[in-house]
Amino acid sequence: MTSQTLPLIDIEKVCYTPAGTPVLRDVSLRSDASRIGIVGRNGSGKTSFARVLSGLVAADEGQVRIGGIDVARDRRRAIGAVGILFQNPDHQIIFPTVEEEIAFGLLQMGQSKAEAARGVAAILGQFDKRHWTQASIHQLSQGQRQLVCLMAVLAMQPRVLVLDEPFAGLDIPTRLHLERVLAGLDLTLVHITHDPAAVAGYDHILWLERGEVAQQGSARPVLRAFETRMKELGANDDLSDLAG
Amino acid sequence: MERNLTMIALFAALIAALGLIPKFTLGFGVPITAQSLGVMLCGTVLGAWRGGLAALLFVALVALGLPLLAGGRGGLGVFASPTVGFLVGFPIGAFVTGFIMDQWRNAPVGLAAGVSAVLGGILVVYAFGIFGMMMTLNKTLLEATLLVQAFIPGDLIKAVLAGFITSGLAKARPASVLSRS
Amino acid sequence: MISLTSPVETRAHGWPAGAKLGALCAATLLLFGVEDPVWQIAFCAGMLLLYALPGRAFLKGGLGRLRMLWPFVALILLWHVLISDAEAGLVIVLRMVTAVGLANLVTMTTKLSDMMAVVRWLAGPLRRFGVRTRSLELAVALVVRFTPVLAAKGQMLSLAWRARSRRRAGWRIVMPFTVLAIDDAEHVAEALRARGGL
Repeated sequence: MTSQTLPLIDIEKVCYTPAGTPVLRDVSLRSDASRIGIVGRNGSGKTSFARVLSGLVAADEGQVRIGGIDVARDRRRAIGAVGILFQNPDHQIIFPTVEEEIAFGLLQMGQSKAEAARGVAAILGQFDKRHWTQASIHQLSQGQRQLVCLMAVLAMQPRVLVLDEPFAGLDIPTRLHLERVLAGLDLTLVHITHDPAAVAGYDHILWLERGEVAQQGSARPVLRAFETRMKELGANDDLSDLAG
Repeated sequence: MERNLTMIALFAALIAALGLIPKFTLGFGVPITAQSLGVMLCGTVLGAWRGGLAALLFVALVALGLPLLAGGRGGLGVFASPTVGFLVGFPIGAFVTGFIMDQWRNAPVGLAAGVSAVLGGILVVYAFGIFGMMMTLNKTLLEATLLVQAFIPGDLIKAVLAGFITSGLAKARPASVLSRS
Repeated sequence: MISLTSPVETRAHGWPAGAKLGALCAATLLLFGVEDPVWQIAFCAGMLLLYALPGRAFLKGGLGRLRMLWPFVALILLWHVLISDAEAGLVIVLRMVTAVGLANLVTMTTKLSDMMAVVRWLAGPLRRFGVRTRSLELAVALVVRFTPVLAAKGQMLSLAWRARSRRRAGWRIVMPFTVLAIDDAEHVAEALRARGGL
């Protein structure tokens, strides 16, 4: 189905200009690495890049292919290839119970109710949370909800998982637990964050600055340059300019 | 006290926000706008007075010139157009919906919400809407009803949805379903 | 959130809102009192002239807002031609367009704050009875502040749906959407209390 010579993530010269504002300009990422970090300030375009990467928004120029699939145009195959986890579980959980929330994606992929139920049981078993099947979402803590979101996406067995600042607002033990869970996953992770420590051990880092690629490559040099720059900016007056 | 104010304001904002998200489908490809569903929810969740005030606040802000109606419409012009009756009917319909919810406590929440949404959100709102059309377009009751009957099935479905949503809310945020507190 | 006031400055922008609204009421009463098609044509032309005076941009904006009436115009004209009473149909259509046009004219030349001043004045008698009208202004501010916030959250839910489905979001997202509105209401109530309450 896919050409063996193309990398899994094949993003070439993507431009994204919603309502006339250039949010992404000429961004390219071609990689087979299994742990990819996207760093940048808030407002640098990282979240928009996450959406372009998962096919939720179509880039205005350039191409976005995951495993050979055009994720913006071929939604049917895209949802099975790339999943995304947003920052705030309250903005992404749609259903009131755990099993409904996890089954949703499976049903949308065309599985029957019975197949979906099996898929739900499988992923809950994998995470040792079978007792959560009937639980209602509002009983769960923030970290538990984030885990439900993760399970809901993983149940669809994507090849790439995009994480948009998934640890924001979680306390230390919950964060460590989720980090462990993510580290154990056998798929490609694309982790969007403004915190370099979260992606320090990753294979490939892309640094976005005002919608353009400032630098990309191995973790240590890129993160070091990024941190230096961030500290520089922090030493100056950062807050005066209005976004307009 | 503050909570009453903020619930009223936030539900008025909810009606407006429901006009801003793209039309959603019913599953078999029928696109419907969600705004009148918001009016029904004001009544089923907030009860008579607060629900009515929330819908009234929404309509008042449209009159004051904010583009809160679906499609970015608003301003005094809509009150001079044939759909004026519906706008006038929103707060009254929300009030009636809420009144029935407040009174009818010994039925399951979902059922009470669905029925009150039909009586208030459809019967009352359409009564005003049809009357408004009669006046502005110089038509008889029968003729005006004919003009709007195409929208009734969609609104009936929305009333049923209001039932489901309210009963879901009663489980997720029981303290906030003020029509049942 | 952008209001519907026109950015094109006209002399009417400076006139008191109460006077404009009063004139609108009188004009609407006049429109609905006259059945003669010749007069209705004249009124309609007069309305269009008022739009044309401040310039082309203003006229274009105004005409754009009248576009939503075209289904009614088409329907009524067709109906009345079929029942061989085209003249009555013309009167209805002209009256409708003129009334909506004049009303929109007031909206386009009046700022939200000026409208609020009228509301405050109208609510004066209520203050006599002890009703706290300051809450009304606060309520308006809250709606203006939170409509875009809620809309953005609704978009997020829509996206979360589309991330797992190729279909557009279904009615199911209205539930968590309403929960978000309720939660925001609780937080803002707390914030109000923390700053002295009502």
